[in-house]
Amino acid sequence: MNYHWDWGIFFKSTGIGQEIYLHWFITGLGWTVALSLSGWLIAMLLGTVLGVLRTLPQRSLSAIGTAYVNLFRNVPLLVQLFVWYFIVPDYLPEPIQTWFKQGLKPEISGFISVVACLGLFTAARVCEQVRTGIQALPRGQINAALALGLNPWKTYRHVLLPQAFRIIIPPLTSEFLNIFKNSSVASLIGLMDLLAQTKQTAEFTANLFEAFTLATLIYFTLNMSLMLMMRWLEKRVKVPGLISLGGK
Amino acid sequence: MKKSLLVSLAIASLFSTAQAAELTGTLKKIKESGTVVLGHRDSSIPFSYLADGSKPVGFSVDIANAIIDEVKKELGLPAIKVQYNLVTSQTRIPLVQNGTVDVECGSTTNNIERQQQVAFTNGFFKIGTRLLTKKTSGIKDFADLAGKNLVTTAGTTSERQIKKLNEEKKLGMNIISAKDHGESFLMLESGRAVAFMMDDVLLAGEMAKAKNPADWAIVGTPQSSEIYGCMVRKDDPAFKAVADRALVNFFKSGRVNASYTKWFQQPIPPKGLNMNFTMSEGLKALIAKPTDKSAEQM
Amino acid sequence: MIRFNKVNKWFGRDHHVLKNITLEVKQGEVVVVCGPSGSGKSTLIRTINQLEPVNDGVIIVDGITITDPKTNINKVREEVGFVFQHFNLYPHLTVLENITLAPIQVRKMEKAAAEQLGVELLERVGLLNKKDVYPAQLSGGQQQRVAIARGLAMRPKVMLFDEPTSALDPEMIGEVLKVMQDLAESGMTMVVVTHEMGFAREVSDRVIFLDHGEILEDAKPEDFFTNPQHERAKQFLRQILAPMHQ
Repeated sequence: MNYHWDWGIFFKSTGIGQEIYLHWFITGLGWTVALSLSGWLIAMLLGTVLGVLRTLPQRSLSAIGTAYVNLFRNVPLLVQLFVWYFIVPDYLPEPIQTWFKQGLKPEISGFISVVACLGLFTAARVCEQVRTGIQALPRGQINAALALGLNPWKTYRHVLLPQAFRIIIPPLTSEFLNIFKNSSVASLIGLMDLLAQTKQTAEFTANLFEAFTLATLIYFTLNMSLMLMMRWLEKRVKVPGLISLGGK
Repeated sequence: MKKSLLVSLAIASLFSTAQAAELTGTLKKIKESGTVVLGHRDSSIPFSYLADGSKPVGFSVDIANAIIDEVKKELGLPAIKVQYNLVTSQTRIPLVQNGTVDVECGSTTNNIERQQQVAFTNGFFKIGTRLLTKKTSGIKDFADLAGKNLVTTAGTTSERQIKKLNEEKKLGMNIISAKDHGESFLMLESGRAVAFMMDDVLLAGEMAKAKNPADWAIVGTPQSSEIYGCMVRKDDPAFKAVADRALVNFFKSGRVNASYTKWFQQPIPPKGLNMNFTMSEGLKALIAKPTDKSAEQM
Repeated sequence: MIRFNKVNKWFGRDHHVLKNITLEVKQGEVVVVCGPSGSGKSTLIRTINQLEPVNDGVIIVDGITITDPKTNINKVREEVGFVFQHFNLYPHLTVLENITLAPIQVRKMEKAAAEQLGVELLERVGLLNKKDVYPAQLSGGQQQRVAIARGLAMRPKVMLFDEPTSALDPEMIGEVLKVMQDLAESGMTMVVVTHEMGFAREVSDRVIFLDHGEILEDAKPEDFFTNPQHERAKQFLRQILAPMHQ
C-alpha cells in the first residue's frame, strides 16, 4: 500500500491563525475530559439516589427508579442527545429559549446539553450498580442497623452505601470508562471532542493513519490512567472481609 | 465513416494486444480479475447515492460509467464486471490506496493534501462555498455575519475557510461545526445558527429537501472554489490516462450536458426532488478545459 | 418491662407462626425461650423490637405500646439491644466504630464520649486490644462479644439474644455465655432464645417452652427441667439433654 506517512503533520499549521494540528487534539481532549467528568458527577449523584429508591420497600418510590432506568437505558444515547439539544429547548418559555439557542455561545449550550445527556444516561446505569450492591448485602446488615434505632437515611448513609460502593467499584470503573467513550456523541451537535478533532485532522491533512494513531494513544493513556486511579481507590478503601462484585 | 471506425478499432485492438504483455497496475489487475471495483457514496445527492437497491446512481456515477466504458475499450474486454463498494469520507482514501477500490467517484475535493496520498482524474465538478439562510434573515454576504452564529459541517473546507476568515477579519462569529450536512441544516432550521456555509451545490440539495424550499436562499460571494475529481491510485499513470481520456470524451461529446440536466435540473429519484441548480460558469470553464489540478493550484 | 397480650402472627395466609401469645417479662428478669426449630421462638423475640411486625394483639415495652402504628418504633429500638445469631457486625467499620456508630448517630453523643464508652464496653467483654481491627479479623466468639458490646452501647433497658451461640464453634460458646452471665448478674432484663440448657438452668429466672407458635411451658428452671408438664417439652428435653446425638 503506497501510503504517504508523515508524522510531522501534528506540528503543521492548520491555516487558522497560529494553530497547529496538535492544538486540535489538546482542545479535543480538554472537551472530552470536561464533558465526561461533569457527566460523571451528575451520574453518581443521581444514580445513587435512584439506586437507593429502587431498594426501598415503598412501592411507589421504587417504581420511580424502575421507570427511570427503563426509559434512560433503553433509548439510544444519540437519540437522547438529539432530544436534549434539539427538542427540549423548543419547549422552553420564550426568553429562555432564545437565550439558550442564541444568547449562549454554541459551545456552552452544547456543553450543557451533552453533560445533561451523558449524566442522565449514565445515572441509569449507576443506579443499577448501586441497587445490585445494596441488594448483595446480607439482610442482617439492615436488621442490625434498625435494631440499634438508626433511621432509614442513617442506615443507608452509614451502613449500606459505604459497603455497597466498596463492592461495586469494579463495575463502576467500567461505567466510568464508558462515559469517556460515550462523550464522543458531542460531535453530533458540533462540540469538537477528541474523536471529532481526530476526524477533522484526518480530513484536512489526508493523513488518516497518523491522526487515528495519535487518538488511539491518547484514549489508551487516558483509559489506563483512569483504571489505575480506580484500582488505587479500590485498594485504599479496601477492608478485610468485603468482596467486590465481579472482582477483576 | 464506417471504414475509418473499423480501421481504428483494428488498430486499437492491435495496439492493446501488443500492449497486453506490458500491462501493469490497475489495468493489469482489472484484466486478470475481469472486475473493476467502483467506490461510491450512499448519500452524496445528486452525485453518488443509493436511491433504491444497492446500485448507486448520480452524476458521479455517470462519470464512473464513462471511465469503466473507456477501460473496457482499452482492454478490449466488453464483459468486464463492475463491483460496487460503498465508501465514507473516512474510508475512501485508504480503500483506494490498499487496492480495495480501483476508482472512487463521489464528491471528493481535489486538494494538495490528498494528492500526497492518491491521484485525481480530471475534475468533473466545480463548486463555490456560499451561505444558505432564511430569506427573511437579512443576511446578504459574509460581512453580515459579524457576531452571529454560523453553522458549517465538520471536516469540510468551508469550516477551515470560515475559521480563518473569522480570525483574520475579527468578525466575532460563533462557528458551530455540525456532524454532517443534515445536522447542519437542522441547526439552521432550529434557529441555532443564522446561516449555513457549505459548497453551493450541497446547499441547493439541502434546500430542495426542506419543507418549504421557497423560504431559503443561497447568498454570498463564493469564498473559494473546489474541484471534485475521481480518485485513483498514485503512481499508476496508465490507468489514470485512461480515466482522464474518458472524462475528456464525456465532456467533448456533450454527454455531460444531458447528464447534468438529468441530475441537477429535473426531479431525481427517490423522492422526485429538483435541485434547480444551473450550471455555473466555473463548471463550464472546467468542461471546456479539463484539468486534474486542484482549484488552489490553478 | 415487656408484655404480650394475645399476640398473633401469620406468615402468608396459612402459616400461623405465633398463636395467642400472652407473656410478661419483669424488670431485671432473665427469660430463656426454647423450643424445637420452627417453633416460632426467633419470630417471637423479633417482635419485641418490631423487626417482625405482628398481625394482631398488643405488645408493650417499657410502657410504650409498640404495636400502635403511631408509635415511633426507632425510639423503642434505642432502648432495646439486640444480639443476632450471625453477629451482623458492620464489616467496613472497625470494632470501636461498630460500637460508637449508634451512640453518635442516634443518641447524638460526642465522638470522644462515645469512644470512651466503647473502650469501657470492650474492656468489659475482654476485647480492648482488638478495638482497631475489622470484624473479619476476629473469631466468631470475639465478634459476638463485640456485638453484645455494640448493643450495650445504647445503654438499653432490655437486651434480646437471638440464638447468640448457635453459629459458633463449640470452643467459643463459653466466652460468649460468660459475658451474658455477667450481664445477667448486673441486673439487665434479658430475653434469650437459646439451646444452651446449662445457661437456662443456672442463669435464667424463667424458661418458656414454645412449640408450633404456642407457649406450652412457662416455669422456673428447676421446675422445667425436673418436672415438665407437657409431653412435647419432655420429648424436647430428652433430645437436647442426651449426652450424644445419634
